[in-house]
Amino acid sequence: MAAFVVRRFLWMFLILFVLSIIVFALMHAVPGGPFDQEKPLPPATKAIMMEKYHLNEPVVNQYFDYIGDILLPRVTYGRVVPDSAFDYLINIPLPAAFGDQATIRWVNFGPTYKSRSLSVNDIFRQNLPVSFQLGVAALAVALAIGLPLGIIAALHRNTIYDYTGMGVAIFGVSVPVIILGPVLQYLVGVQWKLLPVTGWGDFEDMILPAFALGFAQSALIARLTRASLLQVMNEDFIRTARAKGLSERVVVLGHALKNSLIPVVTVLGPLFAALVTGTFVVEVIFGIPGMGRYFVTSVTGRDYPMIMATILLFAAFLVFMNIVVDIVYAWLDPRIRYD
Amino acid sequence: MAVAESNQTLGTGVASLQKKAQGQSLWLDAWKRLRRNKLALIGAIIILLNIFVAIFAAQLAPKPYDLQVLTDNNSAPAWVTKLFPNMVPKSEGGYVNINNSYILGADNVGRDLLSRIIYGSRVSLAVAFVGPFFSLLIGITFGLISGYAGGKVDNFMMRFVDIVYAFPTLLLVILMMAFFRSGFAAATPGTFAYAVGQLDSSMGGMLFIFIGIGITSWMNLARLVRGQVLSVREKEYIEAARSLGVSTREIMFRHVLPNILGPVIVSETLTIPTYISYEAFLSFIGLGVNPPLPSWGQMISDGSRAISSYPNQAIFPAFALFLVMFAFNFLGDGLRDALDPRMRGVD
Amino acid sequence: MQYPHTKAVRLSLLVLLICAAFAVVGGVTAQSSGEKVLTTGINQVGGDPETLDPNLAQASQELAVIQEMFPGLTVQDTATGDLKPGIASSWDVSADGKTYTYHLIQNIPWVHWNSQTNQVEQVKDSSGNPKYVTASDLVYSWQRVLDPKTASPYAYVPADFVVGGDDVENGKADPSTLAVKAVDDWTFQVTAPDAVSFIPNIDGLWPTDPVPQDAIEQYGDQWTEPGNMESYGPFVLSDWQHDASITLVKNPFWPGITTVPQPKLDKIVYTLLDPAGQFANFQAGTLDASAVPVEQIDAIKADATLSKEYYVGTSPCTYYVGFNVTQPVVSDVHLRRAISFAVDRQSIVDNVTKGGQVPAQWFARPGLLAAPTLDSNPDLGIKYDPDQAKSELTLALKDLGYSSAADVPAITLAYNDSSGHAAIMAAIQQQVKDTLGLNLQLSAREPTTYFSSLENGGSPQMWRAGWCQDYPDADDFDRVVFRSDSTQNNALFKSADFDKLVDQARAETDTAKRQALYAQAEDILVNQQAAIIPIYWYTTLELTKSNIERTYSVTGQEEYATWDIGS
Repeated sequence: MAAFVVRRFLWMFLILFVLSIIVFALMHAVPGGPFDQEKPLPPATKAIMMEKYHLNEPVVNQYFDYIGDILLPRVTYGRVVPDSAFDYLINIPLPAAFGDQATIRWVNFGPTYKSRSLSVNDIFRQNLPVSFQLGVAALAVALAIGLPLGIIAALHRNTIYDYTGMGVAIFGVSVPVIILGPVLQYLVGVQWKLLPVTGWGDFEDMILPAFALGFAQSALIARLTRASLLQVMNEDFIRTARAKGLSERVVVLGHALKNSLIPVVTVLGPLFAALVTGTFVVEVIFGIPGMGRYFVTSVTGRDYPMIMATILLFAAFLVFMNIVVDIVYAWLDPRIRYD
Repeated sequence: MAVAESNQTLGTGVASLQKKAQGQSLWLDAWKRLRRNKLALIGAIIILLNIFVAIFAAQLAPKPYDLQVLTDNNSAPAWVTKLFPNMVPKSEGGYVNINNSYILGADNVGRDLLSRIIYGSRVSLAVAFVGPFFSLLIGITFGLISGYAGGKVDNFMMRFVDIVYAFPTLLLVILMMAFFRSGFAAATPGTFAYAVGQLDSSMGGMLFIFIGIGITSWMNLARLVRGQVLSVREKEYIEAARSLGVSTREIMFRHVLPNILGPVIVSETLTIPTYISYEAFLSFIGLGVNPPLPSWGQMISDGSRAISSYPNQAIFPAFALFLVMFAFNFLGDGLRDALDPRMRGVD
Repeated sequence: MQYPHTKAVRLSLLVLLICAAFAVVGGVTAQSSGEKVLTTGINQVGGDPETLDPNLAQASQELAVIQEMFPGLTVQDTATGDLKPGIASSWDVSADGKTYTYHLIQNIPWVHWNSQTNQVEQVKDSSGNPKYVTASDLVYSWQRVLDPKTASPYAYVPADFVVGGDDVENGKADPSTLAVKAVDDWTFQVTAPDAVSFIPNIDGLWPTDPVPQDAIEQYGDQWTEPGNMESYGPFVLSDWQHDASITLVKNPFWPGITTVPQPKLDKIVYTLLDPAGQFANFQAGTLDASAVPVEQIDAIKADATLSKEYYVGTSPCTYYVGFNVTQPVVSDVHLRRAISFAVDRQSIVDNVTKGGQVPAQWFARPGLLAAPTLDSNPDLGIKYDPDQAKSELTLALKDLGYSSAADVPAITLAYNDSSGHAAIMAAIQQQVKDTLGLNLQLSAREPTTYFSSLENGGSPQMWRAGWCQDYPDADDFDRVVFRSDSTQNNALFKSADFDKLVDQARAETDTAKRQALYAQAEDILVNQQAAIIPIYWYTTLELTKSNIERTYSVTGQEEYATWDIGS
């Protein structure tokens, strides 16, 4: 198992490397650049802007500069004036013997073209925790609604419970967040004034967006749980368990549920990765300063370092989650072995 | 309840199951059971109706979808204002123009909502089929091979899935949009490119966007299929088949595939709404269909901005979407039950 | 028989109850202190303003905040749009009209926010003396904004109005060669290459506002963060929650000038939200001032309370559709005129945009200095006229060799996709179809792709655009955008007569004469040549709670220093 995990992590770096090349090439192939805007810049001014961010150099050079800034550590001496193009995630001060304020600096994701004061790392530091909180809350909502609904529906197949539960699930998945968000905002926030309309910081700020985000996902979980549980309930070992006279509760909780979670866990990994790295629509509607908006605005604004950063962040998280999923597989179904 | 269920399960003896499997084709048997599932049938009927509506939109729609009467902007019939009490008519001191010639109301430039919903079913059905077609095709093939081959091949293929999964769909969509909306529009008549261009413009310039979404969203399915294959292939009957010398291909298609179809269909019917939502999302960020062609996603996205003053503009297309999703889900569910070999002979 | 789900159901109920309890408690604890806090929105869908550095700013959302911290040498009176003294109390102009000498108000202190003491403090130099805004701060700002190393997206505006500006901007000369001079601490001099009457307007623009050299050198890119930021205007930056909100507090050391008095508000909190989010907060009572989503205008006007809180101001912008006059079919002037005559602007304004916009007859919005006004030139430019549209179409069909309008291949009308533009474009498409029988093919494009496609002569047959003032003069519209050699001239419209008129108007000092020249130029642009279809002149729509005592701006930017909160 340990060897398996190590191997997967090595794979992870290879994946990120391949992905970074593909995305870098692709984003430069997309027409338009970061300084094409509604009010156009004169060509000379645009050229100056391009030069500031080294966009006038060959794409290959730009790629190696970019990767080099992330992978290669550098040592700085003396006081460093904050510069959004040189902001490092890891800064380790060295003993005075190495020189005046010598510091090893490592991992620089570059500047963002859409802010003159912040770097990509700044945005990670500020916005990632927000998205993480929202994502965890949304996932909790999704599981809290989805799992019970799915179990109830499966145990009462073709009864009113089943139809109601699945009706709720279908409702959740069929109402786009684009509708659900504003409706919740209008009813709960504006009409009834129960919860804040927008904003982030307090627990109460979190409720509406987490619900808007989690509700749709709960449907997915409910449906998969139901389908999978039904299938498992027909397996031989459940029949055996029943034949042994075990109570229905023990049969379902002790045997069937665990086995039926494989398809649920499969989607849960990527889902978790997607939720905690942010979701654009909910963040925009509820005014949440998270990461999700950058997944869209970086692309629409051709903010190249931000595009790379969001994709690599998401990919790293996703691959990590998939490793977790595979480990959980082995736990859920002992017949699956990794060696 | 539990008693009833165990009676059912007792009825499905392994022996009878296998006997039937020899005699009847899988699909005929499935169809018989599907017919008995009322909700699935209703779902199927709704989908057929929807296809019918999409084909005969021109005959069914009370008005042309692009006919604007600017002065009728945002007007609504009397019954709609009663349904949504916050839509107070002008005659009662409110702001809504009453015009009963629009059955569901008119949009912000005075186009008939009902007609637009009817025509909009075309684009929405196209999303519901084009995207999933590509995703199913790639996802199942990939997942089957990966799961069944196992070992190094499986490992390598799953790492490839990781790459595609993190692949930025939005970037691809923008690239395709920029390329095809100008490229294919300029093609000469009679060529293949021209035909594709025509098909594309009949979908409001969204054909390639749907394909783009399809080819970047099969990974979940592939992982799901692989996961199922992993657990199925260790099962006794597969091992038995293998020891009897059944070919790999036959094992895959006769034994493995039917066993995993259930979860796959459930997953895909649940994914269809996300395709349609994605279309709405694209409209939301300024990458929608070419007007005046309507799509539900665009209507919902535009309407969502007016949700507190003209809820009808978002709720009605959302309801149409809801109906279709409802149908896909119950049909998918019915298919799952019908295709599951272990359910054979049940009901 | 017991089922496992009952426990889950109970748990879910419990969670819901806890949430509800929190909500109620939250509602009760929300309270207000004695401070006068104005909560307003900044319309920013994409997130943060790019910068609060005057040298680097370009978007109106950024300027709204910057002007509260950095008033210019001259300022535009928000109530009348007239040019008034800013931090320069007066100025002289040399005999040749090129050199301007500004006399600064003395002893305006630089201040910053101290987050330890939570107070606004004066900035002290190394010997402990207060630091004041001096002419050398202006010299530094001019040199910094034009330095290519700074990469200011707005440098091109001051570059045209200082000797050596273009050379410095293009890296051909050192910033120290600029013709800007600190005569003494309180006297600043700048020499322009040409004598132009609106130079004081340019010199008061934000890109050359005084900026603090010491803070910029110490904090680098982060000098615009709260605490680091040094400013001198009526408000000081005290908090910047990126992607969420910006907070300014009152600067007690601001001496106050006629147009920008000492503020009565203690604090302004800008929340970064789209108009829909702002409006929802306004309704919920969490914003005092809000932008207005177009979808809500009918409901707002009909509502007894909201209609009183609703305000329509002017905004110095023009919405238009351009032609690419080199493209097939639309290269024919009669066809262009036919299409322009066929657009019913009044109907678009009444039924689609709804915000009291003014149907545009020409490009340079009335209200700008030297721009023609509707009072002086009621029939200038072009208006909706279906009869003339049809007769122009007949001529066009003859030119182009088509027997009927239906034979003309569909003309592409491209725009950057958004629901607002889509509605206006759809209306134009329908009107052209109804009046002329011509088919326009709408092409909704991804915004950045669209904007980049307009450049370098690649614009489609028809395209939409909007233009807002950099400085309040018709020159900024007609000459800057549509002179034959302008890089913004996406219509590829070339007219020697037009160029001559706008050049004359620029050199002329008499406003009435300039106005007449621009009227002639506009007639060529929108009527004789019909290179663009002016659609409407913008308005700004705002909602403010009734307890806000406010002024009303005609410049599109509010001056919060004049606002107050009543009881």
